[in-house]
Amino acid sequence: MIALDSTRFTYDDGAPLLAGVALTVAAGDHVVVAGASGSGKTTLARLLAGMTGADAGSSFTGAITLGAETVRFRGTPGDPRIDPARWSARVAYVAQGAWGQLSMMSSTVAEEIAFGPANRGMPAQELRRAVDDVAAALHLTPLLGRDPRRLSGGQLQRTVIAAAVIQQPEVLVLDEPFQGLDDAAARDVAAALEALRRNGTGVVVCAPLLPSHAPQGARVLALADGRRVFEGPLTEARRAGLRRFGIGTQGEPLRLGDDVVPAPVGPAGPELVAVHDLRFRYPRERGAAGPPAGLTGVDLSVVAGEVVALRGPNGSGKSTLLQHLNGLSRADSGSVTSGGVRIGRQPTGALAATVGYLFQDTDSQLFERTVLREVSYGPRAAGMRKDDAARRALLALDALGLGEFAGAHPYELGFVQRRMVALASLMATGPVVWALDEPTAGLDEPARTLLAGVLARHARGGGCVLMATHDAVFADAVAHRSVWLDGGRISPEGATPR
Amino acid sequence: MPRRRIYNPLTELLAAVLLVVLVLVVDRWEFSLAVLLLGVLPAVLLSGRPRQIGLVIALVAGPLLLSSLLLHGLFFPEGTTVLADLGVARVTVEGLTFAALMGLRMTVFTAVLLTAAATLDLPDLLATMTHRGWNRKLVFVVGSAVGLIPHVAERAHRITRAQQARGLVVGRGPLSRMRALLTVLTPLVIGLLVDASERTRMLEARGFSSPGPRSSYLPDSDTPRQRRTRRAMVAAVGVFSAAWLVGAP
Repeated sequence: MIALDSTRFTYDDGAPLLAGVALTVAAGDHVVVAGASGSGKTTLARLLAGMTGADAGSSFTGAITLGAETVRFRGTPGDPRIDPARWSARVAYVAQGAWGQLSMMSSTVAEEIAFGPANRGMPAQELRRAVDDVAAALHLTPLLGRDPRRLSGGQLQRTVIAAAVIQQPEVLVLDEPFQGLDDAAARDVAAALEALRRNGTGVVVCAPLLPSHAPQGARVLALADGRRVFEGPLTEARRAGLRRFGIGTQGEPLRLGDDVVPAPVGPAGPELVAVHDLRFRYPRERGAAGPPAGLTGVDLSVVAGEVVALRGPNGSGKSTLLQHLNGLSRADSGSVTSGGVRIGRQPTGALAATVGYLFQDTDSQLFERTVLREVSYGPRAAGMRKDDAARRALLALDALGLGEFAGAHPYELGFVQRRMVALASLMATGPVVWALDEPTAGLDEPARTLLAGVLARHARGGGCVLMATHDAVFADAVAHRSVWLDGGRISPEGATPR
Repeated sequence: MPRRRIYNPLTELLAAVLLVVLVLVVDRWEFSLAVLLLGVLPAVLLSGRPRQIGLVIALVAGPLLLSSLLLHGLFFPEGTTVLADLGVARVTVEGLTFAALMGLRMTVFTAVLLTAAATLDLPDLLATMTHRGWNRKLVFVVGSAVGLIPHVAERAHRITRAQQARGLVVGRGPLSRMRALLTVLTPLVIGLLVDASERTRMLEARGFSSPGPRSSYLPDSDTPRQRRTRRAMVAAVGVFSAAWLVGAP
C-alpha cells in the first residue's frame, strides 16, 4: 500500500540518515518504528507522510510508492513535490506535539475532530455521526463541547489522534501517539487504532520504546543513528538485545545504579511543600458541559529528600496542582507553601529561584536564541551576573550531557534534547522544589536513566521533586511514594507508600 | 465577558471593510475621528477584552503614526509655514497637519480591521463562508490570516508563563509591563517564523487547501435577513461613494 525505499536523507549538510532503509506497509499491517532520540524515526514518519523537506534545505534520495504511484527523488532541486492535500487524503499523519497540530479555527473539540473530513466535503449529517463515533471510541464524548486549547495534555493528544482516525485513511502514521496518555486513554487509543487496522488501514507507530502490547503480527523496524538495526516480528524484537541501541521495552523496570535508588527519608525532615485544603475552580467555558476539574480540598506534604509522583487519569488535576506550587495558578482558598515561601500575591517570577517548573509542552517553554542563553535566563532573572549565570548554565548542561549544544538554537535540537534543555534551564536557577509535568514523556531509555539519576541527586542534596506522570515504571523506580488524584481530589486510597 | 453576538461574523467583517472604504472615500478628518470615537472605541470597550485589543492596535498603529510623523512632518515640500529649519529637513505646519491626517486615517484602518478580526467568531465565519459556497482558496486565505490572531495570542500567553516560571517579574507599572512585552516579542516572532511553514503544512495535511467542495460541522447561522442586509450595505456604500466622488470638487 505504501513503500519507502530510502537511499539517504540529509538535513542541511548533516550526516546522512536512513541509508538503505526500506519499509513496506500493506493494508492491515501494524508496524512499530522504534528508536532512541536522533535515530531517524521522525524523519521516516515524515517521509511516509509525504514531507521530504525539500523546502527546508533537506535532501532525500529514494522513492516512495503509494498504491500504484511511485515518486522518485534524486536529492536535487528539480525533484518532484508531493501535493500535501492529495497525499494526506490517503496518508494521515499525527506528529509529535499535539498543540502545534490544532487548527486554531475550531472553538470546540467536535469541530476540531471534524476539521479534516469537513475540508474534504463529508456531508454534514455523516460528519456529525462520524465525530460522535470517534469520540465515543476514544472516550472524548464529554469533551466535545470544550475549547481544544484548554484541554489537559492527554486530552489534547486524544483529540489530535481522533482527528486523524476520523479520516479513515489508507495509512495512518503516528509519531509517539501514547506520549502523556494515562493507561485507560492509551488503551482507548490502541483499540481505535486496532479497529482501523482491522478495516484495512496500515498503521505505523513511531516510539522510543518497544510496546508491551501490540496486535498479533505486529512488525518492528528498529533504527539507531539513522541506520536499520533490526526488522522483524515484535516477539523477536524483544529478544534481539535492542537495549544496546537505547531501545527498551515499555513496562520493563529501569536498570538503575545503587546511587539512583531513592534514599530513605525520615518523616522529621524539613517540610518543603505544604498544601492545606487547596481549592481551585476553572472558569466555565462557553458551550462546555462543565469546566475542567479544578482542585477540591487537596492536602499534601513533601519533605526534603523526597521524590513524589502525582498520578491519576488525564484531566484529574495533576498539572493544576503543580502550577499552584510556583504561583502559575492561585488558590481560591486554602494555603500553599513551597520551599518555605507562602504563595500569596507575589509575582510568579519572584518564586522561580525557589520552585522550578518543567512544562508538559516543551516547545512553549523554550524562547531564547541559543541553548546557553536559554539556560542562563533563569539565573540572570534571579539577579546573577552574566558570567556567573553562564557558568551555572554550562554546569547544568554538562550534567545532562548537552555541553556541546551550548551554541545551538533550541529548535535545531531533537525532541529529547529540547526536553533536556528545558530541564537544564530549571536546574541552573537552583530551586529547591522541582515541579515536573510529565518529565519522561517522549524520552528514550538512556534519557530516562539519566533523568532518574538527576532526580535522585537533587533529592539526596536536600531538595524535593514532585512529578505529574503516567509513567508507572519510572514512578515506581524513582519516587518514594505516589499520590493519586481523581477529579481534582486526592483519592482516599491514593497516598501509597513505596 | 465577551459581548453577545447579534450579527453573523460575515456581516461584521463586511461592515468593517465597508467602513474602511468609507473612510477612504470621504477623506475628511472629522469623519475618520467620528469612526474612531463612535465606532471603534465602543466596539473595543464592549469586546470583553479591551486591554488586549487596545494593546494590539497600539502596537500596529504606533509605528505607522511615528513613520507618518517623521516622513511628512520633516519632509513636506509644499509646506510654507516653517516651524524649524534643520537643514536637510524642515518642520512645517502643513507637513505636521498632513502627517496628523494620514496618521489618523491609518489608525482608523488598523483599528477597524484589527477590532473586527480580534472579535470575530472564526469557526462561525468559516462555516458561513462554506455554507454560502465561497471560493475555497478565499476561505483558506481568510481562515489562515484571521486564525493567526488567536494562535499568536495563545503563543504569547504560553511564552509569558514560561518566562515567569523562570524568573521574569512583571510589575504593575507601565514601564515594567512594556519591558515584559518586549521580552516576549523576540521569542514570539522567532517562534512564529519557525511555526509558519509547519503550520501551513499542517493545515494542508488536514485538507484545508484541498480542491472540491467543503462541508461544515457547524449549522448555518446566517439568515436571509442578514444576507439582504449585507447586499443593502454594499449597495448603499457603493451608491454613496459614487455620489460623493462625483459631487466632490
